[in-house]
Amino acid sequence: MQIKKPASGIYDELFGEDDRFRPHCRMLEQWLKHSSEELITDKRREADVLFQRLGITFNVYGEEQGADRLIPFDLIPRVISAADWQKLQAGLRQRVQALNRFLYDIYHDYDIVKAGVISAEQVFANPQYQPGMQNLKLPRNLYSHIAGIDLIRHNDGDFYVLEDNLRCPSGVSYMLENRRMMMRLFPELFSQLSVAPVDHYPNLLGETLSAATLKPDPTVVVLTPGRFNSAYFEHAFLARQMGVELVEGADLFVSGNRVFMKTTVGPQQVDVIYRRIDDDFLDPLAGNPDSMLGVPGLYAAYRTGNVVLANAMGTGVADDKSIYPYVPDMIRFYLNEEPILNNVPTWQCRKPEDLAYVLDHLDELVVKEAQGAGGYGMLIGPKASKKELETFRALLRNRPGNYIAQPTLSLSTCPTFVEEGVAPRHLDLRPFVLSGKKIQMVPGGLTRVALREGSLVVNSSQGGGTKDTWVLEGESC
Amino acid sequence: MLSRAASSLFWMARYLERAESQARLINVSLTMALIDVPEDRTEQLSVPLLVSGIHEVFFEYYEDITPQNLIDFLVLDSRHPASIFGIFQAARDNALQVRGNLSSDVWESINQAWFEMKDLQRRGVRESSASSVFDWVRERSHSFRGAAYGTLLRNDAFHFLRLGTFIERADNTARVLDIRHAMATKASEEQTTQAFFEWTAVLHSLAAFEAYQTLYGNNLEPMNVAELLILKPDVPRSLHGCLREIATLLEQVTSGDARRARRLASSLYANIRYGDRDYIAECGLHNYLVDFLERIQDIAGQIQQDYMGWQP
Repeated sequence: MQIKKPASGIYDELFGEDDRFRPHCRMLEQWLKHSSEELITDKRREADVLFQRLGITFNVYGEEQGADRLIPFDLIPRVISAADWQKLQAGLRQRVQALNRFLYDIYHDYDIVKAGVISAEQVFANPQYQPGMQNLKLPRNLYSHIAGIDLIRHNDGDFYVLEDNLRCPSGVSYMLENRRMMMRLFPELFSQLSVAPVDHYPNLLGETLSAATLKPDPTVVVLTPGRFNSAYFEHAFLARQMGVELVEGADLFVSGNRVFMKTTVGPQQVDVIYRRIDDDFLDPLAGNPDSMLGVPGLYAAYRTGNVVLANAMGTGVADDKSIYPYVPDMIRFYLNEEPILNNVPTWQCRKPEDLAYVLDHLDELVVKEAQGAGGYGMLIGPKASKKELETFRALLRNRPGNYIAQPTLSLSTCPTFVEEGVAPRHLDLRPFVLSGKKIQMVPGGLTRVALREGSLVVNSSQGGGTKDTWVLEGESC
Repeated sequence: MLSRAASSLFWMARYLERAESQARLINVSLTMALIDVPEDRTEQLSVPLLVSGIHEVFFEYYEDITPQNLIDFLVLDSRHPASIFGIFQAARDNALQVRGNLSSDVWESINQAWFEMKDLQRRGVRESSASSVFDWVRERSHSFRGAAYGTLLRNDAFHFLRLGTFIERADNTARVLDIRHAMATKASEEQTTQAFFEWTAVLHSLAAFEAYQTLYGNNLEPMNVAELLILKPDVPRSLHGCLREIATLLEQVTSGDARRARRLASSLYANIRYGDRDYIAECGLHNYLVDFLERIQDIAGQIQQDYMGWQP
């Protein structure tokens, strides 16, 4: 197969500098060169059929319900060397540990505010801050049991954290199914290589959730908004893999500040809820009164300590884009260590001098909503039209506090099957970090790839696809 | 297990059983319409509509019953839930709710059926190709049953799923027998050669033709047909066979204080188990079946109340 070379000035995950694959990916290069187009086309079709049959589909908000779209899956894996993963793993551990310490602190002692590292306003005026969480004792002082950290690789070859997802990070089921698919389609590749396994993620997740309470043999459930949610497949998948019940709000009720599920033999008490519903919708008595997804009285039961939520309420304050710039300071403050992973330099538009800089350099920067998600409501300066730039200029002047800006990073690329053959496309990486008795993760994570040429938006709702992510256990592949 | 999950499994199985019954029923009606004298064709074609109780709905959309209209309405129409399309959709919707309780084999079998169904709807079904579509529905039903039997853990999830199958099957057998038996009896009284075909139609609609021949030989006797489909426990679609399963399954389901569904089922089971053909003849087959249908619906309603629909 013909493989289009990456653009210069951009880091490619597979191609090295001499137009050959990097030394640890040489075998993949051989395999790709010797695979005929027919074989690959067949395998791609087979993958589509299998994903469709397994029902690994997602719904896009605003489209017809149950539209059952497939997330495009790319057959060329993204490879991470053992050395790179070692460093990433240490950095992720450190970062998540600091973020959990931060969450404990802002709901208890406020040390970081008292020390002047972060202003009180930044923390307490944040819409994600939950005053009701103050002084609530949580087992092991853990808030974000499951974290998804979005990373990109810049043209200097280094990884940068783009954002932390500490509420309900999704996508792990794609990581697992992509691997299963690759092993099914190309068993011969795996027999020759030492790719670190990821299949034990559900076991680690189950272990983490059981450790979220101090009660022995706890009853754990997965709480989903229901089958019209875009990530319903994942909720069902994880519940099944862990062997626990998948419940909806209407399956639970609260009595005497305890949470029960309705079973065929009567009420059964629930100890840990792995909830995939946002804070505001969890309890209509405490949050959004119109929520049909939640459980009346759940918050009171939670405050009494009779049930554990994973993740905790109020974690959103720590993954907010306006708090993001302070994470390196958190690591220094709580752990007394230097951050291992880079943060992207960030201008906070609420600061007048930062805003002035952003307005002057708008066509070079990426502007994001401080609380946005899913790739909506963002401006990519170098790719924006004059009109879009003007629209954002007005938005920034009106509500500067809603926005942050970052330099346009050159996301790394990886060869990807597209219509004209194999060509480089930009991608990111989301490893999943589990905090229980200890911090654990499976090697790799979810690789998302922007399938449109030159596009930097990898979100599945915006035409992104996924790839299998290979962390090598040995030297090369 | 979760009450809602039990309910979804129960209904998923009911719908899949219904799809198979419907396919058999339409297939037989189309065949009978070819055999019958022209003036009785409409009567033959309306049997599946009467069994499903959607005769009136049909005439909201169509002026007369032709084979093609019937196929369009009962196989592919997405405007009402009683078409095979609508039934598969409802089955898959329920399956989606309980993916966590299904083995991947069962889920994939249902999901696959749904995608093929959508494809079929796009392509349309002509009268000439209808038989192969009914074959396909039956094969899909067998594939689901095989996957369920071969891969599901024998826990409450399995029991509720099986309960759905047998409640639906008993209900269907009673309805089909009631309507088709009356038509066949009429043909017998008129002493026409048509009678033979009418009796085979009863048996084919309930997949019991071969069983009849094995047990009674070639001679088609009305009371033998009724006996076979009501009292013979070893006929898979007989009322006795279904009730035996329902009563046994309710014994196996983990129950708290719930007893009512068990009591209703055991009582109806005893009634059939110790019943005989004289008793049926005495009641009159129609009355007997009407009574049975009421009681099987009571049992279904009680299962829902005992295990699935309770409120704290």
